[in-house]
Amino acid sequence: MPPETKLSHTAAMILQAIHAGHIYGFDIMATTGLPSGTVYPAMRRLERDGWIASKWEQQSIADEEQRPPRKYYRVTPAGRATLKAAYKRYPLLERMLPASDMERV
Amino acid sequence: MKRRLLDRSSELVVKLAGAMVPRAQREEWTAEWVGELWQVQQSEQGDTPVDALEFSLGAMRDAFLIGWGQRREALQRIFVKGSAANCIALLVAMAAAGIAVCVALPGSRPMLEPMPYRDADNLVLISRFAAIGKPTPSIRLAEYREWTGDTAGLYQSLAFYAPEAATLRIHHRPAASLTVAVASANLLDVLNLKRAAGVENAKGARLLLTYAAWRRWYRSDRGLRGGMVDVRGQQATLAGVLPDGDWRLPDNVDAILLEDAQDSEQLPATLRGFVVARILPAAFPAPRNGLRSMVEAPYGEELHYACQSLTAIQEGSAEALGCCLLLALFSLPVIAALSVGDYPIAMEAHRAGLVARRYGFLAAKFVLIAVIVAVWSSTLAFGMGSRDIGAAMSAQMAVAFVPLLFGFRWAMRDQRDRCPVCLRKLSHPARVGQVSWSFLGWYGTEMICARGHGLLHIAELPTSWFGAQRWLGLDPSWVGLFEDRAITGSHSG
Repeated sequence: MPPETKLSHTAAMILQAIHAGHIYGFDIMATTGLPSGTVYPAMRRLERDGWIASKWEQQSIADEEQRPPRKYYRVTPAGRATLKAAYKRYPLLERMLPASDMERV
Repeated sequence: MKRRLLDRSSELVVKLAGAMVPRAQREEWTAEWVGELWQVQQSEQGDTPVDALEFSLGAMRDAFLIGWGQRREALQRIFVKGSAANCIALLVAMAAAGIAVCVALPGSRPMLEPMPYRDADNLVLISRFAAIGKPTPSIRLAEYREWTGDTAGLYQSLAFYAPEAATLRIHHRPAASLTVAVASANLLDVLNLKRAAGVENAKGARLLLTYAAWRRWYRSDRGLRGGMVDVRGQQATLAGVLPDGDWRLPDNVDAILLEDAQDSEQLPATLRGFVVARILPAAFPAPRNGLRSMVEAPYGEELHYACQSLTAIQEGSAEALGCCLLLALFSLPVIAALSVGDYPIAMEAHRAGLVARRYGFLAAKFVLIAVIVAVWSSTLAFGMGSRDIGAAMSAQMAVAFVPLLFGFRWAMRDQRDRCPVCLRKLSHPARVGQVSWSFLGWYGTEMICARGHGLLHIAELPTSWFGAQRWLGLDPSWVGLFEDRAITGSHSG
């Protein structure tokens, strides 16, 4: 996907949140303050366009913590390029949701 | 207790939403939402609680968007630009739009609706010969009175009505200026509408409002029924409302005043109106041929009257369209080549299904074009409420012929421009060969099927050895070169 592709502000926020290390739906909701009906459909579109990729957590980890397994998301190289282009359009994005020093995924 | 109920409700909402997700993705989708919902339920006990029920409603939106997206993609695969399904869908949409407009306009609606009168073939409207085609109130009341006694051998029953402008006054209501059909008491009996109107029990003069007038002037007030109304200085019982579409006789009237025998005697003998009659079929050799059935005045004078069947408008319109259709089909060879192309014999012999599909598609186009022209020409000719049947039918013929002819021509040309296998429009036209002064070297245009089924060769100058366009089928080994086929190959013929 070309880096100059324009993202909506909401999609850019979600992409930045994932990039910042919030890697599952509920965590992204809590970070961005967006409702579930916006966050999950946006993540489906981002995944369809190849900007994020998903991966199921290992069942053993979930069992150990006595909870259902989570589906984790990560930003793909194409998504990073798109996000970099989005910083020009939304200059405050990076400061609103700063990326952690070490990505969890 | 309340919290457990909310948790259960949230889980139920997620499961219900899952039903909207396509089966292939449902399990994974549900697993993700169940996992996320668990997080939300845990957070409700923490510092920043999130409403689980509100959260689960988001699942509905997510599921709907996934389901709708899949269905949209499936539809896009079927209705690919230039596909046969796309073409048929467009023609069906044009026909549906025509039917909708035809039904919406009061003048053309009767063309699509059956007559509300039982045995309508034997119902005729009698008028003077000069008035044929455009019924006008041409029969004097005196003539009607005379006929009721003298024409027992021709008609089962006769009824009279005369449209008159009148002011209606109902107690506590503003006066309304309407067109009232002043009619003999048996009008509804002759039309077989008495039961529908529900006026059996009223005595004296009775007034029936048409549905449109009842809505327009009295705002659909149900309390009017049974009250007294002043019409032209005469008191009448407001007996009811005529159902919508039940008045199909000439002249748009707002109400019918059914006079009783005593009041009827006081009407002037010179009052001009229409006579509706139920004929005795044996007395009329061709009762269905409504526009041409003639009856001579039975009382000596050389006056001629036309008995026009009430179904004449529909029958006349169908006949006019039938004539146009035949004329257009016979004229088609003049403006279009009838060949749909030259296809290899082996291909035709071994794939009979393809041939049937190809000609079925062509036939469907012809039928749909005929339907589109029929409904739109009826709408244009009759939609403005013209009561001049002759003029309306002439207008319909004039309006229908050219679109039929050029519509059929388009259908033939469109058929030739399609791949005989998948019926999609051929594309990428390319000039092939060099112009030959001796006509011995072939040159023309080559078109290709985007799904790799073959090539179509169209000669620039048709010759005795290369007249019709020729189809060159491609071997299946070419498939890899055609990306379009690789994507939607499962739909190819």
